[in-house]
Amino acid sequence: MSKVKMAVDLGGIQMRNPVNTASGTFGNGVQFEGFYDVGKTLGAITCKGVSAEPWDGNPAPRLAELRGAAIMNSVGLQNPGVHGFVKRYGEYLESVRSRGCAVICQVAGHSVEEYERAMDLFEEFAPFASGFEINISCPNIAEGGAAMGATPQSAARVMSAVRTRTKRPIVVKMAPHDVAAIGHALEESGADALALINTIPGMSIDVRTRKSRLARATAGVSGPAIHAIAVRMVWECAQAVNIPICGIGGVTTAEDAAEMILAGATAVSVGTANLTDPLSAKHIVEGLEEWVASQGATDVNDLIGAFEC
Amino acid sequence: MSVPTNAHDTLANVHEFEVVENKCVADGIWRMRCNTALSGLLRPGQFVNVDVPNDASHILRIPLSFSKADAKNNELELVYAVVGEGTKRLSAMCVGDTSTMVGPCGNGWSLPKSDGRSLLVAGGVGLPPIMACARMLAEKGIGFDVIVGAQTASRHVEPILDELRALPMQQGCDCARTLVLTTDDGTRGMRGFVTTAMQDMLAERSYATCYSCGPNIMMRGVAELAHSQNIACQVSLERMMGCGFGACSCCNVELVGGGYALCCSDGPVFDASEVVL
Repeated sequence: MSKVKMAVDLGGIQMRNPVNTASGTFGNGVQFEGFYDVGKTLGAITCKGVSAEPWDGNPAPRLAELRGAAIMNSVGLQNPGVHGFVKRYGEYLESVRSRGCAVICQVAGHSVEEYERAMDLFEEFAPFASGFEINISCPNIAEGGAAMGATPQSAARVMSAVRTRTKRPIVVKMAPHDVAAIGHALEESGADALALINTIPGMSIDVRTRKSRLARATAGVSGPAIHAIAVRMVWECAQAVNIPICGIGGVTTAEDAAEMILAGATAVSVGTANLTDPLSAKHIVEGLEEWVASQGATDVNDLIGAFEC
Repeated sequence: MSVPTNAHDTLANVHEFEVVENKCVADGIWRMRCNTALSGLLRPGQFVNVDVPNDASHILRIPLSFSKADAKNNELELVYAVVGEGTKRLSAMCVGDTSTMVGPCGNGWSLPKSDGRSLLVAGGVGLPPIMACARMLAEKGIGFDVIVGAQTASRHVEPILDELRALPMQQGCDCARTLVLTTDDGTRGMRGFVTTAMQDMLAERSYATCYSCGPNIMMRGVAELAHSQNIACQVSLERMMGCGFGACSCCNVELVGGGYALCCSDGPVFDASEVVL
């Protein structure tokens, strides 16, 4: 290993390297232990979104593959509730933490009250969480989700509410629109970091049946096809806020991750690439360090926002 | 609901494979044999998630069941229908080509829980996992009969049918194995659906366990018939999949009791009484 410093601080979440996983694409980590030692490799993992009570998620089909390096999903945050989550994964996630990898628990809800309730349960029953990610941008649930993050005002309302419930770091997962204004409002209301972007709402119609290829009319688009959009939004947001950003969107290679960092991201989440190649995040950890060294830098932090306009 | 991978299971990993044969074995149906260390890790009824190379515009792997995992010869046999762009590219892979597959994926078939004969019912490209099931039962000395249905004669996969017939007779079994073929159009074997043949079989013999893989509507009929005779029934389901190992929750299967299981990690084999077919 080189002498390059890769550790970053994502709003109080200490990461040994900038590589995180996008919620919903990495299970809760344990599913990847056969591919590599998750706890010894990644900077952080972000668990699947969990609500106070169990959610069934959306009907099938939840997935479609698109031409042009993208997929659409409408999982709808199927989860066992905080108690079920802690019971099934708590011990494992403690082991991830003890191996030096941060554990970010994602909090989901349909209303401010539900976010608060989930936050309270996490605070009490999830000592293994290094921090939390508030998902106010899921495009696949009927209420809450993206609606909560649609305007600076509604986003700030959720953030202010959960801020009073925990002293641990809070990251907010943002929708792919109006990121400068909403990011600024989230910072003002106490967010420690921002994560963007969530999937981009899209549609895919089967022209023979005239129906959606998924169970719902709209679903979230992800994959390499959205990467350039995500980099632009990270760049726009980074100029509007002073808190760190976790860049997400189509990151498939170390070069993609480096782009995010240059655009202003402190950390980078690997999402859909985990499905294509389950070893992606590990390869990105390795490649990112090589890139930092190749830039003549000794600390990855020196390259955050180093994009030359 | 997805559960953490069982500690006793071999965890999924990325394995390289090299094509040793890839040819058309029936109308629109291909058989690929490949060398891979994964062959020694798979149980009957599990599946692999194959990366078909040479098209960066498609990013999902293709989940495929296998008909044979030969650990001794390091060989895996996949039988697949060419139905879309992915399987079309898969069929274009040549001997010596290499890529990767993720596995072992899924749970696989369970051995019968009670004594007695098993009935295996396959439809279309539901045949490969049923072939793997037949090998499992033959190795254990469990007697079984097989019904294989196809739309038309040209869609029956002769090499697999030959292998089914040639599987060694289980020792101590009191009756010879029956293989019944059906076609929707009557061009081969019995005319009609596998369920028609199944009714005849059930009238002649008693069975303890039924194994089925094929179109959903076929498995629904098979499960209803099995249920009516109090026969335990396992079905292997197919879904569009993202990861193949329980990470993305995209391949949900509706449960009779409400909620969803994941086809890739809770299945693909389910007790027919627990899932909405």
